[in-house]
Amino acid sequence: MTTGSVAVARPAVWRDSALIAGRQLRVLRLNPGRMIYPLVQPVVLLVLFVSVLGNLAVRHAAGAESYREFLIPGIFVQNAVLTSPTSGLGVLRDAASGVADRFRSLPMSRGAVLAGRLGADAIIFAAQAILLLAVATVLGFQLRSGVPGMAGVVAVTVGVGVGFATASCWLALLIGDPEAAERVLFFPAIALAFLSSAFAPVSELASWMRPIAGVSPVTAAADLVRAMAAGGPAAGPLLQLGCWIAGLTIVPGALATRRWQAGR
Amino acid sequence: MSDPISPGVAPAIDAADVVKSFGALTALNGVSLSVAPGTLAALLGPNGAGKTTLVRIIATLSRPDSGRVRVLGVDVLAQPARARGLIGLTGQYAGLDEALTGRDNLVLIGRLAGLRRRSAVDRAAELGAAFGVAHALDRAVRTYSGGMRRRLDLAASLMTRPPVLVLDEPTTGLDPASRRQLWDVIAGLRTDGTTMVLTTQYLDEADRFADVVHVLDRGRVIATGTASELKSRVGRSVVEIRLQHAAAVPAAAAAVRDRLALPPADVRAHTGSGSVTATVAGADATGTLLAAAAALRAGGIAVTGLALRQPSLDEAFLALTDGRQGVGDRPARADEAPARGRARRLPAARRGADRVRP
Repeated sequence: MTTGSVAVARPAVWRDSALIAGRQLRVLRLNPGRMIYPLVQPVVLLVLFVSVLGNLAVRHAAGAESYREFLIPGIFVQNAVLTSPTSGLGVLRDAASGVADRFRSLPMSRGAVLAGRLGADAIIFAAQAILLLAVATVLGFQLRSGVPGMAGVVAVTVGVGVGFATASCWLALLIGDPEAAERVLFFPAIALAFLSSAFAPVSELASWMRPIAGVSPVTAAADLVRAMAAGGPAAGPLLQLGCWIAGLTIVPGALATRRWQAGR
Repeated sequence: MSDPISPGVAPAIDAADVVKSFGALTALNGVSLSVAPGTLAALLGPNGAGKTTLVRIIATLSRPDSGRVRVLGVDVLAQPARARGLIGLTGQYAGLDEALTGRDNLVLIGRLAGLRRRSAVDRAAELGAAFGVAHALDRAVRTYSGGMRRRLDLAASLMTRPPVLVLDEPTTGLDPASRRQLWDVIAGLRTDGTTMVLTTQYLDEADRFADVVHVLDRGRVIATGTASELKSRVGRSVVEIRLQHAAAVPAAAAAVRDRLALPPADVRAHTGSGSVTATVAGADATGTLLAAAAALRAGGIAVTGLALRQPSLDEAFLALTDGRQGVGDRPARADEAPARGRARRLPAARRGADRVRP
């Protein structure tokens, strides 16, 4: 071995984020078992929900022709929300292991660990959406807006998923204990799916739920997917969802990055 | 051993008055440390002495409450990003992704440290071979043994050939064979001229490698010197006499005791091995040895070996840290030496290099 340091490039956030994203995807490739939760379980849930509830007659299906058509967009969004805590748990695993010190000791961009992970998650959410769209099509789900609509559904899933994933990273680092975080993070993800229009129109929910469900990002995302599938007003849900995604990514993202940098 | 602190050479690591508290706990209470380029400094101290806190500050992982740290002239606190390019860190816990292969880890870390893909791939193969993990580079790290993991972690720190390396208890928890392998790697790096700071709880590790040992206790550096200096600072040495005839042991013990005016408890007669050991105080080692030789000669006692050896580093360490406040950075005087019983409990076998100090 020879001595002397190799000239080190200045930290570049894009390059470093891409490297971290590559790491996350490589982990999935080498450990296919880790793909079950984000990619296989959503498909199973979609098939189960549609098989059990798809033929119910509903009074108000918010523009949808059948409950099946109403339910499927809700399940798209529900799955993205349910998948998002894995980001936080992954960041916390890194933070609680020697990997955090290794990354912090490198001349790399500080924000890249989080940005890279969320970048990889965006790809996973996109894959999840495409897979669900394919299975939903087999189950009879139709997008009137065609290919642009499909792209829209993927974008909404990625947006919701990354938004909640960012928030989960901050919350996980705040909780600090991986085991506790696992128990704490999944519960609100489940509750959020019910406190929304994912399974029933807001007007049909219990009265105490309605104010919460009305402003929920899950409601906005599900209604937006419905608008793209069956037509209907998209501007309102789009605005609501946009605000939520911005709110869920910018502030929690900055706080999570700060917490990651501060270390122990 | 070369002169560890040569005047005129800018230190590779220069820490001054570093203070760090965690709530009510003062982890570092004004620590200063200077490491000359190309040397290895050992931070020796019991658990909680502040060793890890200090190396974390040097490696930019933690910020001190006050004080100054420079690495190769770069202010670590003002320019942490630049300092990170100069420092390799091997922490107490392997900084590796268990789910990835060894090669994936090395390449990722190398690239994050600024290497191009091609160079990172080449360097990973080179280090894998050098550290004896070449055969396992394409296996997930979770299948590695503890020793392989530490070596891979050290390899990861060396991807960009950092001129300064910080090793936090690199061999803690390893089996003897793995420790030895890691020692070989560290010895090789020292030959290459890498400046290193190594924290350890193992005295033999400090004794083996360190150009300078800094003894930390309760957040302060309580002693600094070569292992040999620290040992002599305890102020007690051991005269070891091997006799031709075991029958002469009582006479030899009496002669040495009388000539050196030692309390009976400090002279031990080992009739079984035909030897006598005497624990002596004072700086005049040559005089002591000559006096012992004269006493034996006057008594007509034939010897096969006569040696003055230093106390072990264990003994020095205990003397320096053992519950005594305000020892400071000055030599321990004979009257501050540890309880006499302890000196005799230490193993007698010493390495040849320590025999008969010039």
